[in-house]
Amino acid sequence: MRKIILRGTASGFLLAGTVTVGLVANTAWAQSQNDSSVGFEWKDGTEVYAKVCGHCHETKVGPVIRGRHLPAAYVRTIVRDGLRAMPSFRSSEIDDTSLEKVAEYISKN
Amino acid sequence: MAGKYIALPKGVSEQIFDTAIKEFRGILGEAFVLTSPQQLAPYIKTMMPVPDSEHAPSAALIATTVEQIQKIVGICNQYKVPIWTISTGKNLGYGGAAPAERGQVVLDLKRMNRILEVDKDLAYALVEPGVTYQQLYDYIAERKLGLWLSFPAPSAIAGPVGNTLDRGVGYTPYGEHFMYACGMEVVLANGDVLRTGMGSMPNSNTWQVFKWGYGPYLDGIFTQSNYGIVTKFGFWLMPAPPVFKPFVIQYQNEEDIVEIVETIRPLRINGIIPNAVVIAHALYEAPTKARRGDYVTGPGAIPDEAIRKITKDHNLGIWNVYAALYGTQEQVDVNWKIVTQAFGKSDKAKILTEKEAGSDPAFEYRAKLMRGDLTLKEFSLYNWRGGGGSMWFAPVSQARGTETLKQMSVTKQILGKYGLDYSGEFIVGMRDMHHVVDVLYDKTNPEQVKAAYQCFDELLTTFSALGYGTYRVNTAFMDKVADTYGPIQRKVNKILKDALDPNGILAPGKSGIR
Ligand SMILES: Cc1cc2nc3c(=O)[nH]c(=O)nc-3n(C[C@H](O)[C@H](O)[C@H](O)COP(=O)(O)OP(=O)(O)OC[C@H]3O[C@@H](n4cnc5c(N)ncnc54)[C@H](O)[C@@H]3O)c2cc1C
Ligand code: HEC
Repeated sequence: MRKIILRGTASGFLLAGTVTVGLVANTAWAQSQNDSSVGFEWKDGTEVYAKVCGHCHETKVGPVIRGRHLPAAYVRTIVRDGLRAMPSFRSSEIDDTSLEKVAEYISKN
Repeated sequence: MAGKYIALPKGVSEQIFDTAIKEFRGILGEAFVLTSPQQLAPYIKTMMPVPDSEHAPSAALIATTVEQIQKIVGICNQYKVPIWTISTGKNLGYGGAAPAERGQVVLDLKRMNRILEVDKDLAYALVEPGVTYQQLYDYIAERKLGLWLSFPAPSAIAGPVGNTLDRGVGYTPYGEHFMYACGMEVVLANGDVLRTGMGSMPNSNTWQVFKWGYGPYLDGIFTQSNYGIVTKFGFWLMPAPPVFKPFVIQYQNEEDIVEIVETIRPLRINGIIPNAVVIAHALYEAPTKARRGDYVTGPGAIPDEAIRKITKDHNLGIWNVYAALYGTQEQVDVNWKIVTQAFGKSDKAKILTEKEAGSDPAFEYRAKLMRGDLTLKEFSLYNWRGGGGSMWFAPVSQARGTETLKQMSVTKQILGKYGLDYSGEFIVGMRDMHHVVDVLYDKTNPEQVKAAYQCFDELLTTFSALGYGTYRVNTAFMDKVADTYGPIQRKVNKILKDALDPNGILAPGKSGIR
């Protein structure tokens, strides 16, 4: 079992100049922290497609978008602005580089 | 609009805002302070029947650490700049990622997305706000932890922190999500960092296992509110049961809801059926199989005859009761007997299991939701009419047959007056039901936009007059709903607000609190 020790001095910025709220780990935790300390990043365009777009575009919720040679710029615009029933996606969800990759993936596959 | 920004916070001049933005950039870096129309476009789209400009943010800040957030609230206090916090920002049908009021700065925590801990033995998780259910699902699957998630229908793209903070619901036995929340870390408006419950104690290892701590239970005041910014969040996960048995029970008349609820209630209260049962109307399920245009054209709500035809063509009940059993084979066998006996008393009930209905698209996605498998199939709702307009009308009902029928009839009648369809379902809690109706309209059609707005307003007015409150509402109607709960609740909320956030920098307007 992993254990976490959360040690933090929670002090208001109004009162203290320096604030430390840290995750300080024992060894077991440090191990598990390694694979999660960086936060999530997309591996490639295929992953974005499978884990976001595909949930709708491979299930008849949204129209088929692969194999239609949709221009990458068009795909990027739709993703950022949304389109009627299609929600928009922010750069915090799909960063610009990953969006370029998924748009390219869609236009070529 | 003229000027550098697409909008400005209320009462803040462009010059002051410039200074604030410069200081935000000092903390987050140039790339994570968004102000251009192009960068802000994804924050502006909503499904509500009001001009998007009414909810346009002035900027978005993408923060990843508690320290950054502490500094951000410092700047907000100094320049009286209001921030609207989102976690995964997919509050679709409730306002999306857009702020409650024009000009608020969105504090976007999507990139603060570490899974800090998943404990296999005690079956809990501690996560940051930007973690999506997809991310957590993959994490658990890769490590074969044998734990199940409970999530709302937007599963993959939404997340546990935002969903639970808005007191959202899912479909497994852990479906009432806030009931299974355990421990939060919250940045307050003055920059203090509070850990609720056992988390306040140095070296405690019980933060995620004991909800109440010592003294007043504070977690509740950070849900559907604007008293703090939640930066860590603990919640319980369900150990995967050896056997899962989903089923659907179909009924063919709207009045049958009385019998359904009377049959379900004891099964639910006694824990025979452990999950959040859904009683879905045909029009909630039909979009997975058909389009409105295949059955009706022209103005007006869809007539009952057309609905009946849809149920015949697509193997649906007028009511479709989705539920499941969980446990060992023996437990499931015993409970199945009780369930079939209870429903078998009526000749109206048609019971279908995976064997008969497994390949049905509606059954398939419902079964997935009941076992915590990712699916976005419910977004089919938006293909029913098209045009991307939607508001959730979500009154709370007693789990009592006569009450559900009354709520359903009143809702359908008001929707019909405005030419809108009843796409509704009841999500069964222990003693309550979340009556959830997707008010679907075409946002590209100005007349429907107007009708949808008026319709929603009338639904709220009529329901509150009948003594029915809504559990959650989109950002265009928060004040109206706050009023329905009376002046004393508003006053107490305001006292808390003034004490915790005297400059009113955190999400002014959330739940009508400012
Ligand atoms: C087809 C469809 C089906 C849906 N089905 C369901 C359903 O089954 N159940 C359900 O509950 N909802 C449902 N929804 C509504 C909504 O999409 C979900 O509730 C979704 O989980 C909310 O978005 P989110 O998780 O990204 O939360 P967010 O948008 O990140 O947060 C929601 C709200 O919580 C507050 N908040 C968020 N983060 C913080 C923070 N860190 N500190 C303080 N306050 C914060 C803010 O007010 C914010 O607006 C559905 C929507 C659609 C379109
Ligand atoms: C929640 C479901 C959903 C998700 C997730 C989703 N889409 Fe869509 N998308 C839709 C729907 C629905 C439409 C059709 C909208 C309409 O016409 O009203 C659409 C339309 C589109 C279109 C326009 C298609 C055309 O024929 O012109 C593109 C391009 C697109 N989506 C790309 C994407 C990409 C890329 C992703 C992933 C990053 C994605 N979508 C994720 C639902 C979704």
